[in-house]
Amino acid sequence: MSADAFSAMLVSGLVLGSLYAMMASGLSLVWTTLGIFNFAHGVFMALGAYIAWSVSDAAGLGLWLGAGIAVSVAAMAGVGILVERLVIRPFYGERDMLLITVMATLAVMMFLEKGIQLVWGPRLKQLRPIVEGKASILGITISAHEVLIVFLTPAVLFCLWAFLRWTRAGRGIRAVGQNPDAARLIGIRVSTMFALTFALSAVLAGLTGILLGSIRLMTPTLGSEPLMKAFIIVIVGGLGSVGGTVAAAYLIGLAEAVLLTFVGMYWSPSILFIGLVALLLVRPEGLFGRSAR
Amino acid sequence: MNGVDALTVRDLRSGYGSYDILQGVSLRVGQGERVGVFGPNGHGKTTLLNTISGIVRAGAGAISFMGKDITRADAATIVERGLIHVPQANLLFPAMEIQETLELAAYTRRAREQRGASLERVYGLFPRLKERRTQLCRTLSGGERQMLAIGVGLMCRPNMLLLDEPTLGLSPKLKDELAAAIDSISRSGVPLLLVEQDISFILSLVDRMYLIDHGEVAQEIVRGSEIDHQEIMRMYFGTAQVAR
Repeated sequence: MSADAFSAMLVSGLVLGSLYAMMASGLSLVWTTLGIFNFAHGVFMALGAYIAWSVSDAAGLGLWLGAGIAVSVAAMAGVGILVERLVIRPFYGERDMLLITVMATLAVMMFLEKGIQLVWGPRLKQLRPIVEGKASILGITISAHEVLIVFLTPAVLFCLWAFLRWTRAGRGIRAVGQNPDAARLIGIRVSTMFALTFALSAVLAGLTGILLGSIRLMTPTLGSEPLMKAFIIVIVGGLGSVGGTVAAAYLIGLAEAVLLTFVGMYWSPSILFIGLVALLLVRPEGLFGRSAR
Repeated sequence: MNGVDALTVRDLRSGYGSYDILQGVSLRVGQGERVGVFGPNGHGKTTLLNTISGIVRAGAGAISFMGKDITRADAATIVERGLIHVPQANLLFPAMEIQETLELAAYTRRAREQRGASLERVYGLFPRLKERRTQLCRTLSGGERQMLAIGVGLMCRPNMLLLDEPTLGLSPKLKDELAAAIDSISRSGVPLLLVEQDISFILSLVDRMYLIDHGEVAQEIVRGSEIDHQEIMRMYFGTAQVAR
């Protein structure tokens, strides 16, 4: 295999891994903090892209793309808080909270998918790339937008890490995930932390959508395939560890690129899944997980 | 606040689901007073503390702290008022470092303003925590965990402390160490409500004690009254455990 082909594989793995990491970290954060899986995470991704499109595209408000991103981030934070309030909070403390919220978030997913279809119509859309033109990375020339993805993602994830590690609210989120009763006894309002977690997670999904929305064509179900991948990544990375999720995202992105190179489009997904199932047989707690949440 | 009790609990009923574990408990803790709650397991001592601190909702009755009603207040509001509950066998935050946990515990605005001083005080009281400040909570021994739990309580800037079995599973030497620490905390003017199973530990610390039986206060014992150690043991366990 030539050095060029190898670099090409590596770069495409990095692009994939970055998108997966941004997407799955939000999903993982919600799991770690609230102990639920959010099936609406994928549609959050689509919604974020559509909102940015409406603000920035000539067919919408026609503003600068930066404005689109800013509006989208703010809107997604609001959507996250709203969804937590309306369909998660009523079920706090229920014995079957996990199952109930699976249904509740699936309902949100369907509602928002149809809502997007209704508001924005069936025509395929595409966001402008954040940066135009081509750029070189590791000797491979790809679109500058994809290079941006590779560098922007670690920056965003670093911010997330720093927030969780150093700020009062971030530490509060971690505390609530690890021991809600102990958190309440030092004065942390658990429901506020849950809402904040949902907001953060929705923003991360929306950002992923914006990044993907200029590579692929946008549809209301833009996020459903990435969501599936993100679930697998969260499980493989080890439930309850956002860091593990990020590492697994990059590993799986790279593995996918390798498979695409050597096996091709057709069989890659199944081989990837079989490999991951085998991995979970050996390490049921995932790559970086501990046995308990 | 002369004349107002630190804590009063009147006819408190509460529990989980439809079953009341507490069947009408009344007690009071005066300013600067140290009061014990003693009784067999499963008779509502922990539920009592959980209800006072807002983790469990009161079914009926009233709780007031420093003269203000807190019966329906949520846990965060109660912490803001400075009524701090250090729960039993508190695992705290397994994946957080000790210092991080202590810093976080100064969460309310009131506590945050004094964070540096509180931290110094906790490390002064428990130097072992300072040595291990970058260790994760989950790696701590039982004794260290108990010290951290009390340290967390202090970081909250308590106007009163509720302690639930702080000596559970500790060696006699550690019990003495902890008793000294609790003694020094209460001498700084913080009233205490101490739930314990270890009768000599509780008698060494408190001025007054309530015996809880089947979710009710069976008896109130003032230090130096005629009921002593042996009789308490006899009441609860049928025989005195220490021969006279």
